[in-house]
Amino acid sequence: MIQERGKHRAYISLLLPALLIYTLIIIYPIFMSLGLSFTKWKHFKMVGFVGFDNYLAIIADPSFQTAMWHNIQIMLISVLGQIPLGIMLAYLIYRQWVKHSKFFEMMIFLPITISSVVVALLWNRVFSPVGIYTELIRTITHNPDYVVKIFENKTFAMIPILVVLLWQHTSLYMVIFLANLQRIPESIFEAATLDGAKESTIITRIVLPSLSNVIFTCSVLAISGSLKSFDLVYAMTAGGPVDYTSVMALYLYKQTFTYNNYGFGSAVSIIIVLLSVGLITFVRYLYAKAQRKYE
Amino acid sequence: MKRTIALVVALVVLGSVMVFSAGNKEAAAADGKIHLRAYMQVEPADSQYAGHNAIMASFAKEYPNIVIETEHASGEAFHQKFQAMAASKQMPDVFTCYGGARTAYVTEAGLALDLAKEYLTEDFKKGYSSATWAPQGKNGEIWMVPPSLAVCHVVYSNDKLLAQLGLTFPKTYDEWLTQIPVIRSAGYYVASLGNKDPWVMNSWILSLLVDRLGGPQWFMQAAQGKGASFTDQPFVRSLEIIQEMTKKGMFSPGVNQMSNPEADQEFYQGKSVYLIDAGWRTSAMDSDLPVDLKESISMHVFPAISGEVTHNTSTATVSEGFGISASLKGTAKADAAWKFIEYYSGPIGAAIRAEYGEVPTYNLDLNKIKMDTMQSKFAKFQSEYGMGYVFDAIMGGEGVNMLNEDIQAMMLGNGEPKAIATKYEKFVAANDLNRL
Repeated sequence: MIQERGKHRAYISLLLPALLIYTLIIIYPIFMSLGLSFTKWKHFKMVGFVGFDNYLAIIADPSFQTAMWHNIQIMLISVLGQIPLGIMLAYLIYRQWVKHSKFFEMMIFLPITISSVVVALLWNRVFSPVGIYTELIRTITHNPDYVVKIFENKTFAMIPILVVLLWQHTSLYMVIFLANLQRIPESIFEAATLDGAKESTIITRIVLPSLSNVIFTCSVLAISGSLKSFDLVYAMTAGGPVDYTSVMALYLYKQTFTYNNYGFGSAVSIIIVLLSVGLITFVRYLYAKAQRKYE
Repeated sequence: MKRTIALVVALVVLGSVMVFSAGNKEAAAADGKIHLRAYMQVEPADSQYAGHNAIMASFAKEYPNIVIETEHASGEAFHQKFQAMAASKQMPDVFTCYGGARTAYVTEAGLALDLAKEYLTEDFKKGYSSATWAPQGKNGEIWMVPPSLAVCHVVYSNDKLLAQLGLTFPKTYDEWLTQIPVIRSAGYYVASLGNKDPWVMNSWILSLLVDRLGGPQWFMQAAQGKGASFTDQPFVRSLEIIQEMTKKGMFSPGVNQMSNPEADQEFYQGKSVYLIDAGWRTSAMDSDLPVDLKESISMHVFPAISGEVTHNTSTATVSEGFGISASLKGTAKADAAWKFIEYYSGPIGAAIRAEYGEVPTYNLDLNKIKMDTMQSKFAKFQSEYGMGYVFDAIMGGEGVNMLNEDIQAMMLGNGEPKAIATKYEKFVAANDLNRL
């Protein structure tokens, strides 16, 4: 009995420092933010509680709706673009269907090692009105007025950002999938080939089920990462022109730190957290359903 | 035994950390000097701040008993950290702050000393241009001493190109519009402007147009909603002019994708005839451009507009300067901080900065100071033209940001002047501090 109590004390004393730090820097700010989200601020002072007014105003704000739609686009390109492409590239390299696969592995991985801000500056340098690409097209077409118009298009201005995200982050997923593919015993592939299984059968019956755990983890990473996208978008366009490339985190940033609407900004952050949790729960449900199918 | 040793080691480590981490403070007190913690929105490596660096060095030499330990930051990063300092009440002793709403999180929160009450005397104020002492707070407070005026509108022209095209700087806006086909057919762009950050159009053109067409009295009435509003003709017409300039090809292609440095580069490379920019660009021009190019650049204001009520004006604001933490009130540290501000903005600092091309708010005989090419042109510019207000230095930030985005949308073909004016007026009436 005394020994058990001693054990408990030891466990608690070991856990306590981490728990304290976690509470201070994660739990407390979340609850603080939740509390703030029901308040209104004016002239840098809290002027009172407003219930769900902030939430209702955010949902009704067309700027927020635009920003949320852009986050959804980023999420779609992450989950339906980066992850499948990552699997395909990893599989190509794993099966050594390309020569010098080590070289390609390194080249594909390179973009993720570069800071998002540097990536944004590089792409801006290429495609800006005084950038290399623009100058080149102007020279070839003898059209001095040429600029990359897609950046100014209300509907399609996000596309360049989505392309950069796809280019930059696919490599991370490729490396994760490649590492996990290497854990599948070689003999399974050999046995399947001897049994006359087609490549498509190997992929759908062996590879994907073996990677399902990783795909789920990557989807969670992709969803949460997409909803809090900030650095690349901020450095590339800062949400402009107008709000054609704005995202929820930028909207939050402006409301909180530029207009000092701390209550409103906190409500945006809570909405982002709720969306993340909701979507991850949905992916978890899909994953459980898929697992049951393979069992 | 082991436990005791571990405890002793832990206590020794903790004790050492506490003793050594307090080292600086002890040293500060021991050296008999006053140490001021400063937070400045300055980039010392940027050639624009060469004058600032020279003053800091000169002050350190002149006042060895005052040590200024400075942390530098710029742009949004400056404001983020400053807001955190303000929220945690960990204010630096001396800091950059604005006369307008930009650092209201410090000034409105009572964290900056009211220099008008503590240090400013009529004798001191007399040495400066009168525009320096416009009230910064609601009750007439002065939070900072602006060392120079921020001139927010200049039309730079490349005279060599103009002569080559057989043109001269236009006298009227209509004449300027007629130059567009001539310039474009010769293979040049007309005017470079970097409106990627949408405040540029507001600060550098809209302010000027509104001031010219409405005048200062109408603007203050519209800002306060007393007998005028932003749906009135001066404001709508100003927006119409921006729309017209865009449609007729006054700006380089991709004006809303182009950053300020990119627009500058386009002009410096001789691809455009005009550059619309701020006055402070002259210091960078002096350090970066070859002599022949500097000599061929002239500085003008927007040509006369039909129906304008003020003529031949640019726009300027007191913008930013150094303030003192309110917590220092009545201490030797506050006096040392004031000594620094006095030195920085007064005759010595003003003369040093003038040599590096800034035109100070302190009244100096600039003819006696040796200035670089563009700096002397800038000094002449300020003496020749009257200065109107800067729109976004007076109106609230949230509404201005909304307006800027709407202007950018209009330039991209997604908005009309009247609708933008109506939307802005509605927002101002409900939210702007000037109306509440």
